[in-house]
Amino acid sequence: MNKKTPYILIMPIVLLGVLFIFGVINGIVQSFGYIPAFDLTDITLDYYIEILNSPTFLDSLKTSLQISIISSILAVILGTILTAALVYTGHTEGKILQIIKLAIIIPHTIVALFLISILSQNGLIARLFYKLGWISSQGDFPLLLYTKNNFGIILGYIWKEIPFVAYFSLALMSSINKTLGEASENLGASKLKSFFYITLPLSMPAIGKAFLIILTFSFGAYDLPFLLGATMPKALPVQAHIEYIHPDLRHRPYAMAMNGLILIITWTMAGMYYLITTKKNKR
Amino acid sequence: MELELKNISVTLSNKEILKSINLKVENGEFISLLGPSGCGKSTMLKTIAGIINQHEGSVILGGNIIDNIPPYKRKTVIVFQDFRLFPHMTVAENIGFPLKILGVNKNKCRERAIELLKKVKLVGYENRRVHEMSGGQIQRVALARAIAAEPTVLLLDEPFSSLDTNLRKDMRELVLELQKEYKITTILVTHDKEEALIMSDKIAFMYNGQIEQYTTPKNIFNNPANTIVADYFLEGTYIDGEIMDNRFLSELFNIDVNKNNGKYKCLIRPLAVRPFKSHVGEFLVINKIYQGDNYLLKLNSTIKDLTLESIVPDFTDIMEGDKVNVEIVKDKLIFIPM
Repeated sequence: MNKKTPYILIMPIVLLGVLFIFGVINGIVQSFGYIPAFDLTDITLDYYIEILNSPTFLDSLKTSLQISIISSILAVILGTILTAALVYTGHTEGKILQIIKLAIIIPHTIVALFLISILSQNGLIARLFYKLGWISSQGDFPLLLYTKNNFGIILGYIWKEIPFVAYFSLALMSSINKTLGEASENLGASKLKSFFYITLPLSMPAIGKAFLIILTFSFGAYDLPFLLGATMPKALPVQAHIEYIHPDLRHRPYAMAMNGLILIITWTMAGMYYLITTKKNKR
Repeated sequence: MELELKNISVTLSNKEILKSINLKVENGEFISLLGPSGCGKSTMLKTIAGIINQHEGSVILGGNIIDNIPPYKRKTVIVFQDFRLFPHMTVAENIGFPLKILGVNKNKCRERAIELLKKVKLVGYENRRVHEMSGGQIQRVALARAIAAEPTVLLLDEPFSSLDTNLRKDMRELVLELQKEYKITTILVTHDKEEALIMSDKIAFMYNGQIEQYTTPKNIFNNPANTIVADYFLEGTYIDGEIMDNRFLSELFNIDVNKNNGKYKCLIRPLAVRPFKSHVGEFLVINKIYQGDNYLLKLNSTIKDLTLESIVPDFTDIMEGDKVNVEIVKDKLIFIPM
């Protein structure tokens, strides 16, 4: 291999990285009100202050936090149960893993379409219930999507993230169960006690990382809340997008300030996670 | 507790690992499962512990068949080769774990852990984490944890193989000391013949999923059942011959022995060959290898196609290229029926 080959091979990711970092920096600069093309040249925190005082923003923030926290906690719990079931039944490789991977590669947009075609008032279940005579019209089917409790979005994230949590933590849990789980059973612990005393606590690094990834992702992602969310309040990324496509281009710093706040919140989440894990390791 | 294996067969991934194993270990006895890698020793240990299920046969513990008893209720505790201490617990928590899961209160678990740490000579280590300990210390903790589980049978899966020679000797002594004190029926899996000979009341030699011989260390060394067992302990030169009317007749020598008539292989180990210098000697010293407190000599016959080995003290005056004659020590010869 030529000495230059590694550098050539790494070029695409470097280029993409530069593009991404440039975009983030550009957005942050714009959030401080500096867009010379639109005659905005005063650097100011006003946009941030204004947004932080706006009830719409606070409602959106609350909605996004609610969606991401509830969906991530449920996905982690159910994902861990799925992982444990796979580990204890010996399905840690082969076909079952392919099924899990398949669920991971299906895009969120497709998941939203699945949910609409299954759970909406025009969906399969509503039609089935109507055909069976359980409801007198399709409109009687309970409204599960586009609601203020964000049921549809949370369901969509859970559907996508349970397999992710399982895939992410399966290898670690399986290897712990094979060695230390086996040792604890040999010392007198039942399978259940073994799981709660040994396998689960030692699998927590992978489960914790999976939780952080899905929490930050679901907090900052746009597609599911856009397709399945209520008219008001909108999730933060959707609200930021609306600000971004505002006809008055001078409105853009508001969108960027919202993105800046999303960035700060996700970084804070990551920072907190880092502090908790390093503190645990030092103990 | 007394342990018995009756016709145990184990098949893993369509391969027969254990073939109709029968073995009886008396209460408080220390036995070794000795044999080369892959002969099924560890599988046998895991079968006793219920981690691997046998295809056929029964495991009988204290007179009761335990085939349907789950691993966690068997009290057949393994000290694993890789020790498997729990990294998220302190040393005391590791040792107290078998008690904790039985519902014993925290203080009593800790008291017992400290008591056992004293037994394994690790006083003051109770609050240490596993990653702060050396290999030898980790092994002592693993041993203490196994004893805390009050095993009916203690199963040691090559526990000394990762230790250096000096540490290994200390650990062997400690294990024997504790085994005698607590009178625990113990099975040691090892491929180290010296370890098996030193530590065991009996040795079960395993080869290819079967027990070739099960007897005392002295008997297995001096009267191996076949050439596989004999060669594993100490290799030598085989001479084919026949015993007739209590006399072994062969091309090399004829000698009086007290054995049944029949064809035999006579194994001449290095300790059975005593060379002495002679100008008209039949053997030529072709190699002299220093082994610490003695030398191993390789001797080639100048008359027959025969090579012998001999172990001589380090003050020997025999040199490479010398001509020697040999005296065969009758008591050290081993006769294996063909």
